[in-house]
Amino acid sequence: MKQPKKRRFQLNERQLGYAMVAPSIILIAVIIIWPILLSAWNSLFDYRLNDPSKAERITSLSINLETYADNRYLVYDTMEDVRDTMPQAESTLANITSALDEQHETLLKTDEGLADRYEEVNTMLENYQPVNDDDLRLTEIPEAWTDGFTATLDEQTAAVQTLREDAPEGAIQPLTDLESQLSNTKNAVLEPNFVGVNNYTQYLANGRTWTAMLNTLLFTVVTVGVELAVGMLVALLINRVFIGRGLVRAAVLVPWAIPTAVAAMMWTFLFDGQSGIMAHYMAQLGIIDDPGVLLSTGAGGMFSVMFADIWKTTPYMALLLLAGLQTIPRSMYEAAAVDGANKFQQFFSITLPMIRSAILVAVLFRALDAFRVFDLIYVLTGGGPANSTESISVYAYKLLFEQQNFGAGSALSVIVFLSVALLSTIFIKLIGSDLFSGRLKQ
Amino acid sequence: MAKRAGIGFYIFLIIFVFLVMFPFIWVFLTSIKPQGEIFSSFQWFSSNMTFENYVSALETRPLLLYMLNSFVVATLTTIISIIVASFTAYAVTRLPIKFKGLILGLVLAASMFPQIAVLSPIFNFVTDAGLRNSYLGLVIPYITISLPLAIWILSTFFIKIPLSLEESAKLDGATPFQTFRKIIFPLAAPGVFTTAILVFIAAWNEYLFALTINTEDSWRTIPVGISFYQSQFSVPWGDITAATVIVTIPIVVLVLLFQRRIVAGLTSGSVKE
Repeated sequence: MKQPKKRRFQLNERQLGYAMVAPSIILIAVIIIWPILLSAWNSLFDYRLNDPSKAERITSLSINLETYADNRYLVYDTMEDVRDTMPQAESTLANITSALDEQHETLLKTDEGLADRYEEVNTMLENYQPVNDDDLRLTEIPEAWTDGFTATLDEQTAAVQTLREDAPEGAIQPLTDLESQLSNTKNAVLEPNFVGVNNYTQYLANGRTWTAMLNTLLFTVVTVGVELAVGMLVALLINRVFIGRGLVRAAVLVPWAIPTAVAAMMWTFLFDGQSGIMAHYMAQLGIIDDPGVLLSTGAGGMFSVMFADIWKTTPYMALLLLAGLQTIPRSMYEAAAVDGANKFQQFFSITLPMIRSAILVAVLFRALDAFRVFDLIYVLTGGGPANSTESISVYAYKLLFEQQNFGAGSALSVIVFLSVALLSTIFIKLIGSDLFSGRLKQ
Repeated sequence: MAKRAGIGFYIFLIIFVFLVMFPFIWVFLTSIKPQGEIFSSFQWFSSNMTFENYVSALETRPLLLYMLNSFVVATLTTIISIIVASFTAYAVTRLPIKFKGLILGLVLAASMFPQIAVLSPIFNFVTDAGLRNSYLGLVIPYITISLPLAIWILSTFFIKIPLSLEESAKLDGATPFQTFRKIIFPLAAPGVFTTAILVFIAAWNEYLFALTINTEDSWRTIPVGISFYQSQFSVPWGDITAATVIVTIPIVVLVLLFQRRIVAGLTSGSVKE
């Protein structure tokens, strides 16, 4: 009797386990993995938020029913105004109406159920509801209809133009409106903006992308290298018993704990050519010719962002390494000293091998952070002067949100993602299974 | 290597700490100088100390509102993230499920992805869901970003709790979830607290999403708010230094109170014990 009961308990435990893991996995899938795939998909389009004809990803010739219905309503409404102010326009208006109606009828017949969808969109617009559902709003249309539709609109726009030439004063405004509404109706037609790998070839051939890539690599190698070397030195020096340990630890943690944007603002002030004390002292010591060069030249700017990053992160690196050093048993050094090993030999044959995995893990996470650098550069130099400190993330951000070019910006973010993936694969190969140690039941 | 410290060591230590703290010291000294002196002199101490910069920093921009926004976003993120992460950490370290290596690998990979690669799709989601300029619009991405860190650190703490306690709970008839809620979670409280501090700091400091999603001034968080003090035409260093001091104080307090825990959390991922 006891055996099956115990098995059921086991099963419940396992089910609970999957249930407890599920929320994290779902969040990671929805907020990280799915968006990365979407970025990759977006990068294949000429997708721009600030251009209404490219603000969607369109794989085949389509019509935006929302724009179409909206403009159709406006055109008919304005035609009433024209009628009121210019009775002699009646025949032209009748032409426009019949031409548009004919196109409209043909359009609704191109796809089954399109008439119902058009009605639905129309009702939503009447209630001032935005139409967010892409399946409702966008529909594929045949090329033949589109050609006829555009030609009709051009014809009628020209007709309205002619009408305006001898229109009375009061009719000028409605006619101008009508003309622009007719030509705006063409915006409802969405040309496919799928461009394949065009964004990649275009931006990989672009000098600015490579400058940004090289800046990022240089920034990563220099900052992580210096942080590791200086951090190690500091860790070795403070790896002893002294008074005020807690205070030193807190002092060292503050630069790490403050927001990077705040640190960047502080350094903008300290490096400022006019009132920055760092720039002032460096110029007085003859390190730089003029206090202005730090933020107004490419080399100065690069130095500034690197210096600020090293200041912010070295103490953190030192803490990580110190924790590693403290796990080395003292007896190993004593034994080595008995065998006549000097301090350097001890460092290279005991210290380094013992904290190898701690160093690799610290370097991995630092290098990934440095490679993604955004806040520090964006706030401290804005990528300037003349893009000389721009990192790849900063460039991607500017394309995405300053130029609203989601296609090209996504292509660059996919490149950042692939670089990071490559970087971490190399590191994980080096570190091996040590990363998981202590977290899995063996 | 527990050497005794000599006088030379303390001199080195003082210089080191001074260099690390120098930017803060200088920013603080600048913040209490009158406007005119900031631009004209490099004197360390001003003869006429003033708090006018502080008044101006609080008046020209809603600094306290930024801090409130940061506080709400960071607190919500911390609470939700800890709950979700502790579930996963418990299941991975204690329950007999398959694919543990795969799950941890996924979590690790999620901690490495560049945020710029998910920014534009998340921006589109949040815009479509009408969550721009709201707390939730930031909390949802933040929870996910902080999950890997939280799961990682919590697992190291959970695995240290002796199995025997669970066994006896099981014998007393506790269900697995009761064991988690009443035994493991309370026993790992120090670890949970450490993780909470790190998640809170990470959410408090986040810049990229906050910059992109909450563009209205009244919804900005501290890092973004501070970076908007400089305008195109003038740089009000007095205001900026004063604002920096104001926002740094809570962090200094946090670090002073919890430095031991923070270090324990930071090193739990990298050092084998």
